[in-house]
Amino acid sequence: MSRWPERGVVTAWRLAIFVALIGAWEVLTRIKAVSRTPGFYWLDPFFISRPSQILRRFAYLASDQVRLSIWDMALSTVQSTLWGFVVGVSTGFVAGLVLGRNDRLARILEPYIVAFNSLPRIALVPLITMIFGFGLLAKVVLAWTIVFFIVFFNTFQGARSVDADLIHSARFLGAGERHIMATVIVPSTLAWTFASLTPSISFALIGVVVGEFLGGESGGGLGYLIIQSLGTLNAADMMVALIALGVIGIVLALGIKQVEMRLLRWRPEHRGRT
Amino acid sequence: MRAVQDVSFEVRDREFVAIVGPSGCGKSTILNMIGGLVSPTAGRIEIDGRPVAGVPPGVGYVFQKDTVFPWRTVRRNIALGLEYRGVRGPELERRVREAIALAGLEGFEDAYPATLSGGMRQRVALMRTLVVDPGILLMDEPFGALDTHTKLNLHAELLALWGAKRQTVVFVTHDLSEAITLADRVVVMTRRPGRIKLIHEVALPRPRDVITVRETDAYAREYGEIWHVLGEEFRAPAAAGAPGAAATGEGRRR
Repeated sequence: MSRWPERGVVTAWRLAIFVALIGAWEVLTRIKAVSRTPGFYWLDPFFISRPSQILRRFAYLASDQVRLSIWDMALSTVQSTLWGFVVGVSTGFVAGLVLGRNDRLARILEPYIVAFNSLPRIALVPLITMIFGFGLLAKVVLAWTIVFFIVFFNTFQGARSVDADLIHSARFLGAGERHIMATVIVPSTLAWTFASLTPSISFALIGVVVGEFLGGESGGGLGYLIIQSLGTLNAADMMVALIALGVIGIVLALGIKQVEMRLLRWRPEHRGRT
Repeated sequence: MRAVQDVSFEVRDREFVAIVGPSGCGKSTILNMIGGLVSPTAGRIEIDGRPVAGVPPGVGYVFQKDTVFPWRTVRRNIALGLEYRGVRGPELERRVREAIALAGLEGFEDAYPATLSGGMRQRVALMRTLVVDPGILLMDEPFGALDTHTKLNLHAELLALWGAKRQTVVFVTHDLSEAITLADRVVVMTRRPGRIKLIHEVALPRPRDVITVRETDAYAREYGEIWHVLGEEFRAPAAAGAPGAAATGEGRRR
């Protein structure tokens, strides 16, 4: 029907909506709802700032006029997130594999795992801060407590659902227990583990930002910028931090998705989507 | 629930035996007992005079279900048995390449199983089993899920491979024509709990052409004789429960 390719149409609409939203944001925060009444706007810039102001603050925060630039903070956040992710995934995988292949141990530990996992992780922030201080370590530990369980439960499920016939066929081909672990159980389980990587990186970022809320300046990070902006009622700085976090979240999730596709390229549903 | 009862037969060295019977008659159970996956509640299974306990060495098993490892390419699936035995380097390369050529899988070495047809996957499973030269081959309806054309091709290939190496084969199927085409002897089972109803010597000369053999009078005669017996099992209503008599299933191989 249309002369335009479908992808072009979609992209054009997306751009149009973006421009319209940003434009409305800029304009509506400048027009007064009741003329000459101060502070009575259609959209109050006090709460949501406005795009031009946010850009100005971003330029300032990115310059070397500030002690802790937005780049330093972003780096600190990304670093903590990746550490929490790596530590959480590796420990969660090992624990899930061990418990998934050991019924009795799984049954013994089940109530403890369920209890700890039911605990809202945010409630742990003050305790973790008390133990690990205000630095990078506390943020990593918090991210770890979240990521660990996501990966653990997926891996556990995967390790339990290894196809018994695959194990049998390996045995007929001459596999010993160690071979079966390395060539059947681990690869089969990894498929489940990989599926938990994308949510894991997002939750690691959540954990880190919450950690930064309490972490103070020594912990740095974008979470610190948000809390600082709250203290000074500076919506523009807060928006800068939020936008930066959004970008970081997208980039990390896309990166992990790429890794996942690469590792699971043997799966039919992953082929041809790279 | 008893799967089989009073089953006793012997498979000779290098013989191709097919077990046929209605579904649920315990054909696969017999195979699983020979393969050491299931131990008999009564009676014994022997290979070369030694009782079976656990998966016996030198036995290959081709499952009905697709057991090709989906995360390994064709080449690495076929290499599995050799890797388990510690074969490495050029020796591994060479034997895998030979097996791939033998199975007609050239050009698919680096393909993942998900990209292959069911027939090709079963071909990989077969070659993966044969590459380590098992003396005994257990096959549980390996071609059950394939269409007639693919099935016939695989019959021809299996016969050619078997003709070259002469493994001792126990082949479970519910397809009588498949059993007659391939086997030296056909064991006919009754409904559950499965007993042996007939052991029939297939008097068809080898080598057999899997397509033209079906046109011969000899094939028709074999088919008629076995079907006469097997057909009763398909007609009769299913008996409720197993008879009370204690059973001693006894099986000996070779």
